[in-house]
Amino acid sequence: MVDENMGKRSRKVFEQKQPSSGKKDDDNEVILEPVISSDEPPLKQTKWTNKQRVLVFSSRGISHRARHLMIDLRTMMPHSKAESKMDRKDKLFVINEICEMKNCNKCIYFEAKKKMDLYMWVSNCPRGPSAKFLIENVHTMSELKMTGNCLKGSRPLLSFDQAFDEEPHLKLMKELFTQTFGTPNHHPKSQPFFDHVFTFSVSDNRIWFRNYQILEEDGSLAEIGPRFVLNPIRMFEGSFGGPTLYTNPHYVSPNIHRRMLRRQVAQKYIHRVHAKKSLDERKPEETYAKDITDDVFVTIRPEQNNQNG
Amino acid sequence: MVDLHASSDSEDIESDEELQQAFASGKLKPGLNVEVQAPKQHINNVSGMKQKLEELEQGLSWIDRLDLTNPPAPPPPGAAMETEDDGADIANNDFKRELRFYRQAQASVLVAIPKLHKLGIKTRRPEDFFAEMGKTDAHMKKVREKLLEKQQNIENRDKARKLRELRKYGKKNKLDFLEDKKGSGKGSKTQNRTEKPHQPNKRRQHKDTKYGFGGQKKRSKMNTKETSADMSGFSRKVHQSKPGKQFTNKNKNKGNRNKRPGKDQRHKMKNKKK
Repeated sequence: MVDENMGKRSRKVFEQKQPSSGKKDDDNEVILEPVISSDEPPLKQTKWTNKQRVLVFSSRGISHRARHLMIDLRTMMPHSKAESKMDRKDKLFVINEICEMKNCNKCIYFEAKKKMDLYMWVSNCPRGPSAKFLIENVHTMSELKMTGNCLKGSRPLLSFDQAFDEEPHLKLMKELFTQTFGTPNHHPKSQPFFDHVFTFSVSDNRIWFRNYQILEEDGSLAEIGPRFVLNPIRMFEGSFGGPTLYTNPHYVSPNIHRRMLRRQVAQKYIHRVHAKKSLDERKPEETYAKDITDDVFVTIRPEQNNQNG
Repeated sequence: MVDLHASSDSEDIESDEELQQAFASGKLKPGLNVEVQAPKQHINNVSGMKQKLEELEQGLSWIDRLDLTNPPAPPPPGAAMETEDDGADIANNDFKRELRFYRQAQASVLVAIPKLHKLGIKTRRPEDFFAEMGKTDAHMKKVREKLLEKQQNIENRDKARKLRELRKYGKKNKLDFLEDKKGSGKGSKTQNRTEKPHQPNKRRQHKDTKYGFGGQKKRSKMNTKETSADMSGFSRKVHQSKPGKQFTNKNKNKGNRNKRPGKDQRHKMKNKKK
């Protein structure tokens, strides 16, 4: 009992001495304790309870714009961790193991195919749902039209469109986004004030993402970037696999989209031939009905008659 | 007679025997059968999604999530109130769409800031709080310069337009005064923008070399004192080394190593500069 009391007492002494050392700091001098026991555990910060860690990485073959987008997301999210590029030959299930090794419970994985198409997977790693999106219209933070700036690591406000409360798949996506993109409270790398807001809106069956800086408390904003559009493809019950919960009926894969465009161009000539044919068929032989008796009372002048005759 | 028969499980394998059997059993009718793809099945597992949502939810308070759901804020009273065509129309109309997102963010901010103040949390960054920003100061400087340049361009255009208008209708005295301020008519733009001394016209220069003084090159003498003593066509690399040495690279193995540092070093240098 004596030992416990001693331990407690010494800890209290340690705590009490902290403010006095703070005062010494104000004199621009840091005077350390004469004897510091290494057995004393450091003061634990128990405020950070929501332990969200997001693993943000990509596959090989990613374009420079997508790479900058990924770097921008890492800058915006202080609770993110980086990872080197993954070979696309490996099955996606491997990502769950990578997440476990890095102690992450969320993952944002950028998959680049054909150096043209960019897909984004957002997943809750051990058990939870995952979603695959096609990313379109990427603009990065470093574009000069994005004039806003924010503290690196400040907690973002998340603003969702009303449509997110109407469909079950959107509700699930909203929860996933909130937990992935929202910085946890009292995260050690986070900054105190609230100066930017992420916007998720639904338009044309796609999710539009914007990041604005709060200039004034009355609501004037400036765009910081990045900005991108997510086209939902599928939602899975498990992380990077499992039974499908939702497929997007409006989704057209980029390959099929390109094929349709090429077909349209190829069809141009065929359309023209068809159009000509149909015009020939529709065209009447006579433009208007001609009555022979209309000429009966036309007088032929004598000069014309001499010429003709 | 054309009979369109949707492909079913029994006709996946189109071997002759299978088709004969199907015909015999009456599933296949005579005539031309065209295989049509079944309409794509779209999955929308509402109950599964609800269950997953319950599993995923953490039950945290608002301050831990900071999420807000709201419609776009109403536009300012002066703006034209056009009917909003949701869906594809607004997605293609850039201006309207961005405005809508802006107003949605505004509405969220107007709801969130009072909420945070109620919880006793400071939202505004004080002027003397210096911390690392998402974009570097150098980048913000570039952005500011770009904005200033745009503004300057607009101002220049307006001034030039005003001057043109006045030229047509203004008095001579006023014109003189304005011209003194800005410089003479056509040259005013260039003089306003750059301070460099007058440079000869590039086109003029090119034409001079080609056609000036009788189109020199083609008609010039070839074997005079000046031309035979002219060493400008002599390449030291070709003539003063042994034959074949011109194309070898002395620094193939070692020289380039020290010239450009590797990716790691460059990254470190970049961070040091910051």
